[in-house]
Amino acid sequence: MPDDKPTVHAGFPSPAQDYMNTFIDLNKELVRHPAATFYARVVGDSMVDAGVEDGDVLVVDKSMEPQEGDMAVCFIDGEFALKYISYKDPAGDSGKSRKVPKPGVSYDILEHRKMWLLPANEKYPPIEVTESNDFTVWGVVTYVIKKVCTRL
Amino acid sequence: MGSRDLRHKESVYALVDCNNFFVSCERAFQPGLEGRPVVVLSNNDGCVVARSNESKAMGIKMGTPFFKVKYLVDQGKLVVRSSNYTLYGDLSARVMSLLSEVAPKLEVYSIDEAFMNMDGVPDSDLPGICRELIVKIRRWTGIPVSIGIARTKTLGKVANHFAKKYKGYKGVCVIDTDEKMHKALSLTPIGDVWGIGWRGTPKLKALGVETALDFVSRPREWVHERMGIVGVRTWSELQGIRMVEEEKEEKRKSICTSRSFASMIDDLDELTQRVSDFAGKCAEKLRKEGTAAGTVGVFIHTNRFREDLEQYYPNASIHLEVPANSTPEIVGAALKALKLVYRPGFEYKRAGVIVADIVDADSIQQTLFGFDSSARDRDDRISKVMDMVNTSGKNVLRLGTQRGGHYADGIRREFCSGLYTTSWSDLIEVR
Repeated sequence: MPDDKPTVHAGFPSPAQDYMNTFIDLNKELVRHPAATFYARVVGDSMVDAGVEDGDVLVVDKSMEPQEGDMAVCFIDGEFALKYISYKDPAGDSGKSRKVPKPGVSYDILEHRKMWLLPANEKYPPIEVTESNDFTVWGVVTYVIKKVCTRL
Repeated sequence: MGSRDLRHKESVYALVDCNNFFVSCERAFQPGLEGRPVVVLSNNDGCVVARSNESKAMGIKMGTPFFKVKYLVDQGKLVVRSSNYTLYGDLSARVMSLLSEVAPKLEVYSIDEAFMNMDGVPDSDLPGICRELIVKIRRWTGIPVSIGIARTKTLGKVANHFAKKYKGYKGVCVIDTDEKMHKALSLTPIGDVWGIGWRGTPKLKALGVETALDFVSRPREWVHERMGIVGVRTWSELQGIRMVEEEKEEKRKSICTSRSFASMIDDLDELTQRVSDFAGKCAEKLRKEGTAAGTVGVFIHTNRFREDLEQYYPNASIHLEVPANSTPEIVGAALKALKLVYRPGFEYKRAGVIVADIVDADSIQQTLFGFDSSARDRDDRISKVMDMVNTSGKNVLRLGTQRGGHYADGIRREFCSGLYTTSWSDLIEVR
């Protein structure tokens, strides 16, 4: 293991020395709130149209307030479910019932108490969350880690 | 007690305690367990070491052997988990890191408890800061905590107890006036006072002291005569007079790693592996706290419940010329001791390694003769590399005789949750 500060015994110091400790740290880039960040593995195909596939690893930030269009790990009736969060009735959106909302769409959580969980796969219907559900948004998905090279 | 107004004193502590911590850790990754009776078992699934409020309400006591509540599990009335200290440790570190962002000074007291020294923070801001902190910790980590605020640690413990017990406090109880203090102490059984403990309680009760208020109402001399300076300390602290000084990280006098085997062992090779593992664990602990041990002891026990078998309970210690904390040295000494006591023909059920005569690693004086310092340097280097690799959770690097703790019949952990935060292959699954 190299020391933090390499010592130079003679001659000129290497001009690279000042830059020795800089490298790209994925933890720093992908994890904004370390105390609140957890990882989860995707099982199944409920979000394939969003590019999230079976076996992918999710970076989940529990500190973030869920907003319209966020992909989130939800806990509903005993299971973790990966879905888009929406505060608008997907059926009311001029018939395009399973359209994936785009992040950043205007929303109003306070006025719209209702919530829908939207899959990104035609095979599955949206789920309306009601008081009868045992429900919580466990955390907001911030990044998806996908293995591309099959030789690894 | 005089009529001092405690608000004018300059110091204040907030004691943060995680509610039913081990259970809360399990619930953080299995939200479905919220509201259900849950218990967590000790190492080897022996007895109950943590309970949810629901299982407390069912009358399950701390320390209850698992076999006594197993029927409840079978009937689906109780959820049981083996202890998953890797997970608990990780969540604890997360909680503590959030506390340290708020507290000018933080003393981590145990895996689920910490004193925030809030000196300098305006009193009026404290409850608000603490309430926000509770919400934040719950949201970020999933762990519910309670906070007791008072002038002293002992009184902070009392306050915390109230914060936990009564929902109305919303997790934060402040004892900041004589009046509140009086009330709180009168409602606190003497046995619940920090520092009195199970030894002091019967004695005090016999002398007519039932509550913490009874206790502080006695004169200082009365307390000193019967309980010495330690009792006076508690007595003062309960009245908001700061006595317990911040303790320096106290070095332990000895460290023990021992286990019962799921099935009995008579083979020396097998025992050698186990003892090597235990010794390796001890060495790791020593290095972690920056200490070294002068003595390495080993004990092996036959199964005392098998009266039909011959019993043998030997132990032996090896004195090291120079205190050590490297894995090769500690393991080497432990195996020497094992060879001294091992006798074939017995069925061994339990073994352990105890390292004692612990000193600061920095203060080790090298003897002049008979000590090979170059070998020591090499051992130290080997240990450092092992610590770096082994902190990743799995004991991937170990000496030839160690086996790494993953025995088919090793620690019983029948109901263990995953290593959700420390193992890439154990992540929670989402559908």
